[in-house]
Amino acid sequence: MIGAGFAELLAAAQDGNEEAFTQLWLDANSALLRYLWLTAPEAAEDIAADTWVYVIRGLPRFRGDEAAWRAWLFTTARRRTVDQARRRSRLADVPIQDLPASRLPAVADPADVALEHMSTRAVIALLAQLPPLQAEVILLRVVAGLDTEAVAKLVRRSPGAVRVAAHRGLRKLAQILTEAGVTL
Amino acid sequence: MTGRRVSGGDMPNFSRRTGQDASGIPDAALAALLAAGTPLADPSPPMQHVADALAALRAAPASDETAGKIAALAQFRQRVGVSSHPIRSRRRRPTLLSPLLSAKAAAVAAVAVVGLGGVATAAFANALPSAAQKLAHDTIGAPSPHAGSSAHPGDKANRGHSGTPVGPNASGPAAFGLCTAYASASQHGTATQKAVAFRNLEKAAGGAANVATFCASVAHPGASATPGGGAPTSHPTGEPSHPTAAPTPHPTGAPTAHPTGPPNNG
Repeated sequence: MIGAGFAELLAAAQDGNEEAFTQLWLDANSALLRYLWLTAPEAAEDIAADTWVYVIRGLPRFRGDEAAWRAWLFTTARRRTVDQARRRSRLADVPIQDLPASRLPAVADPADVALEHMSTRAVIALLAQLPPLQAEVILLRVVAGLDTEAVAKLVRRSPGAVRVAAHRGLRKLAQILTEAGVTL
Repeated sequence: MTGRRVSGGDMPNFSRRTGQDASGIPDAALAALLAAGTPLADPSPPMQHVADALAALRAAPASDETAGKIAALAQFRQRVGVSSHPIRSRRRRPTLLSPLLSAKAAAVAAVAVVGLGGVATAAFANALPSAAQKLAHDTIGAPSPHAGSSAHPGDKANRGHSGTPVGPNASGPAAFGLCTAYASASQHGTATQKAVAFRNLEKAAGGAANVATFCASVAHPGASATPGGGAPTSHPTGEPSHPTAAPTPHPTGAPTAHPTGPPNNG
């Protein structure tokens, strides 16, 4: 997240300043990828690039603060993901959270991997073990930095449902890690 | 515990098998973790695991997460970078249409010139109703509706300094229209031949006897028509109410380059 300097950075990027745009991109692209590794593991990089094409196109007309900017980025990424899923798997109109488990990344033992390295990718693989809505909500809250209301709007659920999904997901995550026998 | 491995296959039962350890974590603690990754008030093992996992999710970008920067920057340069102001990129679209509009206007003007045929006779005699005369003025260089009227003495475009009408420049873009009108008028031998426009044509041709030769060398304006006042807003509906020279649908004696009708008898 950029914080206080966001408005200035956005204005400069909208004015054509490449340095400002680069900072916006560096700040958000890793978050986009981490979200997409969960929701579209086979095409995350492609969808992230596709998302930026759309965002750059609409950049001059964008109005809003950093929260709105983040919400716009992830809404765009989510739409691109759904489009991609329709094209690739002919699963028309299937929301991300209803995609079959076979589309989730196959990791031999994500809990062990996560505990050994606690790397970003390993944790995302671990999240992929959760029910998809729980995993997506956690990533949108933690990685995208969106608040409950913004996430609710994005996944088209009530804020209450989002809160419950996030908490259930975190409890399961804690359970998985604890049961893997870790002591830090 | 021998490690209860969780896989996608047994996920439906997973919620029923959640252990007691994690289920005791209060909502407030989880909400705090989600919101900002604040330090744990109660760093019990389950909470600590979750905090570590979320910290990993928030880790600084890895190198493979910045690989697309060059491509994104290229996109940005192409879309936004060329514009010094965001508004400019929004205005870019209409300029894409303008060549089309110009081409359309030129085509309309060319059709109007071709279609006018004998009406040009009246046009250059300044005998059309005002609206039609205006159209003829705009498209084929006929005198403006007010060229011969003293009501507009300030209309210097078609008047000399002395106040006498000067008519269209017969050696300029109006030549084709003048030739068309002259050919028609000469067939009927009316007084319109004495119009200023025709005198200009004869002067440009180097005498009345040379007009036919001169007109044969005049190019059709459709090839390089440049409408002066944009596209006409309506079709030329104004008919000459009292034409001094009857418009003829097939003017004879037309120049060889004339597209409106083949010469009948030369």
